Amino acid sequence: MKAFQYVTATSPASARELAGGDGRFLAGGMDLLSEMKEYITQPKTLVNIKSLPGLNQIESSPSTWSIGANVTIAEIEDHPELKKVFPGLQQAAAEVGSRQIRNLGTVGGNLAQHSRCWYYRHRDVLCLKKGGDMCYARHGDNRYHSLFTGNTCISPVVSNLAVALGALGANVIVQKAEKPQSMTIAELYAEAWHNPEAHNSLEPGDLILKVELPVRQQRSAYLQMSQKSDFDWALVSCAAAAKVDGNKLSQARIVLGVVSNVPYQVEAANKFLEGKELDDATIAKAADLLLEKAHVQPFNGYKIPIARTLIRRVLLQLKA
Amino acid sequence: MPSWPENRVHIGSHAKRIDAPAKVTGAAKYSSDVQPDGWLYGMILRSKWAKAKITKINLDKASKVPGIKAAILDREGERTVRYYGEELAAVAGTSKQACLDALRSIDVEAKELPFVVHEDDAKDESSARVWDDHPNLSKPRVREQGEVDKAFSECATVVEGFFTTPVQLHHPLETHGNTISWTDEGLTAWSSTQGIGSVQDGLANNLKLQQNRVRVISEFMGGGFGAKFGPGVEGSLAARLSQAAKAPVKLMLTRFDEALAVGNRPSSFQKIKLGATSDGKLHAFELESYGTAGIGSGGSSEGGGGGAEFPAPYIYKVPNIRVKQAGVTINAGSARAFRAPGHPTASFGMESIMDELAAKMSIDPVELRIKNDPSEVRQKEYRLGAERFGWKEKYKKAGSSAGPIKTGVGCAGATWGGGGKGTKAEASINPDGSIEIRCGTQDLGTGSKTVIALIAADILGLKPEQILVRVGDTRYPPSGGSGGSTTTASVAPAIYDLCTKALDELQKQSGMENARGENWAAACKKLGVNPLTVSGQWQEGLSSSGAGGVQFAEVDVDTETGFVKVKKITCVQDGGLIVSKLTCESQVNGGILMGIGYALYEERVMDKTSGVVLNPNFETYKLVGLSDIPEIDIVLLDMPERGVIGIGEPVTIPTAAAVANAVANALGVRVGGLPITPARVLEVLGKTKTTSEDSKEKV
Repeated sequence: MKAFQYVTATSPASARELAGGDGRFLAGGMDLLSEMKEYITQPKTLVNIKSLPGLNQIESSPSTWSIGANVTIAEIEDHPELKKVFPGLQQAAAEVGSRQIRNLGTVGGNLAQHSRCWYYRHRDVLCLKKGGDMCYARHGDNRYHSLFTGNTCISPVVSNLAVALGALGANVIVQKAEKPQSMTIAELYAEAWHNPEAHNSLEPGDLILKVELPVRQQRSAYLQMSQKSDFDWALVSCAAAAKVDGNKLSQARIVLGVVSNVPYQVEAANKFLEGKELDDATIAKAADLLLEKAHVQPFNGYKIPIARTLIRRVLLQLKA
Repeated sequence: MPSWPENRVHIGSHAKRIDAPAKVTGAAKYSSDVQPDGWLYGMILRSKWAKAKITKINLDKASKVPGIKAAILDREGERTVRYYGEELAAVAGTSKQACLDALRSIDVEAKELPFVVHEDDAKDESSARVWDDHPNLSKPRVREQGEVDKAFSECATVVEGFFTTPVQLHHPLETHGNTISWTDEGLTAWSSTQGIGSVQDGLANNLKLQQNRVRVISEFMGGGFGAKFGPGVEGSLAARLSQAAKAPVKLMLTRFDEALAVGNRPSSFQKIKLGATSDGKLHAFELESYGTAGIGSGGSSEGGGGGAEFPAPYIYKVPNIRVKQAGVTINAGSARAFRAPGHPTASFGMESIMDELAAKMSIDPVELRIKNDPSEVRQKEYRLGAERFGWKEKYKKAGSSAGPIKTGVGCAGATWGGGGKGTKAEASINPDGSIEIRCGTQDLGTGSKTVIALIAADILGLKPEQILVRVGDTRYPPSGGSGGSTTTASVAPAIYDLCTKALDELQKQSGMENARGENWAAACKKLGVNPLTVSGQWQEGLSSSGAGGVQFAEVDVDTETGFVKVKKITCVQDGGLIVSKLTCESQVNGGILMGIGYALYEERVMDKTSGVVLNPNFETYKLVGLSDIPEIDIVLLDMPERGVIGIGEPVTIPTAAAVANAVANALGVRVGGLPITPARVLEVLGKTKTTSEDSKEKV
């Protein structure tokens, strides 16, 4: 990798300042260091944020749970209370990489991780996402790519946590300019929908501080399908959360992962489920609404039946 | 004729590996662990182009990078590179980062040339040629026997199918590479190799050195699977870097490199037609196939094999056959011998069509095989395996299990030569009773050292841990390359001969009638000051060749997601006299896992626009993981009268075919292409949404 400066930040504001325009924040380093080794990212400065105060805590109040950006994925996976209150989040965490990766990888890093597209990650392919002039995946092997995009790049966002947090209506607190700002999951990724070079909406120097989850007495679930049983990226993932009264859903929210450059949500599908009982026809209609605008590439059409299956299985888990 | 002792204590036992403690504690030094004084890192610059004319490579800037001690070209002058990853230059330096910086500073002037990386594109006459002087598609080799067309008309049932297998990468856990020290006195190479002799020969040839100046050492080795016989381009580069830098150079390939230029199993596209008479006897067979071995087969491996052809109709005897097999060159790294070259590929196509025939004729697949397989050993194995696996209870009509997750079973058979000869070995027996056995074989991790210790222990009446075994050095008596599952059959008789002679000689010199076991120490004491040294060599009658095996697979397939889970594999394998049961079973386990990888996960993916390998890592070149491992039941047919045979290769052959047959049995429809991915399962089930019209145009 290219030589860089290494500095340690003591506060979010100093972290921003130290990072400047071309620095990056180092927490678990699972994604960042591998990009640096491949020369995909060549930051001038690495700002160590591991010792920022308060970022490694999980806290709860009657209305909100707050998970610091430096909390590891394994800590979420192992947290007995979180598992009870937000089972969908715990399931999403448990499916991230391997246990070794979960021990180091953090919430902030998982949300801000970059595309896994095999063209983007290839050291000798200069694709659109890296500032090149074409999306190789559109013309090549797109088996792992998106069904929905607002631009030419079809590399999907792969964060498991984003999918679960999206369904749970979480907000992400980001240190932007002088003060922390709250963003929805949709807002955190909106930029990637139309900008091929973006992985998310974070601007240089923006630092994820924590995630806040509203306590809504909801049930939640997350499922993913991979090629292998374990330690493999999802081909498609799906999370849902809703209040379940008897058999009736309210405030339902479904999110699909690894099918778009954003955690994919369709408001019409969520609205449709309001007050509905979960039967086969309702589930099929919700899946139709979610997948209506899918744009299948030559090698990723199999993602549609997997997505339909996951939508059904996740919704049925809410009922159970 | 010599024969193995009747009373075997250690031979055939579950004794642990003699080097297990060294491996577990990290005391074992692999080639990649060796660190001679003053060693440097070595790294290779590779072509970024799938095909290009290289007009100039400037190493000036690289040589000036701090820490760089040598920078050399792979070859002088203009050249044409024919695949992404071909070696261009190499550097040696005091740190990995210095080498990386140096590689990035090398200027290469290249004129890009048109290329082709997919078999079906390459076949097309209008595509770019890999080699100017001949078309990409070779003239098929045709083999004909009997009257095929007439024979098909005589068949009661005829089935046809199209089967494809991907290019599979060897990916041994220890990558290819060497640590080499070349001084005026000569050259020492610590090589990760399957053939210390062939590396010695290759380096001496490539570097114009006398063979008595080249020593190759491979004490511990992390797997090769057929891709590690010669020194390779990386070996010669390491040697030249060492000479230029006047220091030892360690040049181990990266995982990325490993996917590009050091071998693979060729792909196959097989159109098969098979017919049987009404009694279920195979009567006519036709195969048309092509596949790619990259820019050509062989590469710099002396392992042989590696071409795109494969045996057909594999293990079956069909009176009327027509076989046409062609190879297609593409701009990608060469194939090399890969664990049972040709056989897993052949087995997948042939055993798939056998099950199609069984289904169409409503014959139980095991019965169809017993009826048509000429090998009595395999017939016996099918009966035994079926019983053990519970075939009769488990085999149901294809696609008949209820619910979205369907269960299926399948089976397949394999053959392999094995055998081996020619090994020599020597022993020093010391007055203090200690003993050292030296043999110029190498232990790929298969357990060769343990095999030697167990045999010696039985013949001398000692414990295996009393035997100090040294292998992997060209200064020891020669053995041969470890390929073709020949090592044990070649080494074991030599150790038998050596130890028998040693015992005779010790008894003679000590004047004791029986120097075995409890008398050993007393006998040795009588040797005086000097050790007794003895030589032995391979003898006829203690080994043979020809190993048959069958496997049964049980799978669950989720028809809503396409996910395949292998639940159980039963393997019945003939290996003659099993010397080390533990390491033998370990070979079976490894072979089956590799077979499951071939069935479900592994596939080198090339990009037609850039010409690069898209998955040069373990993230997207998927290998079997812990959670993917099924229950494995191993039955080793005990046939000591056959002597030692060798089973490293046959055990990986039938796995993929058995799994594919089990998937077809579960679904009631066949996935004809490996690997059997969720995408392929959903496609044959008709659930995949096809391409949107507008994106179709662009591709």
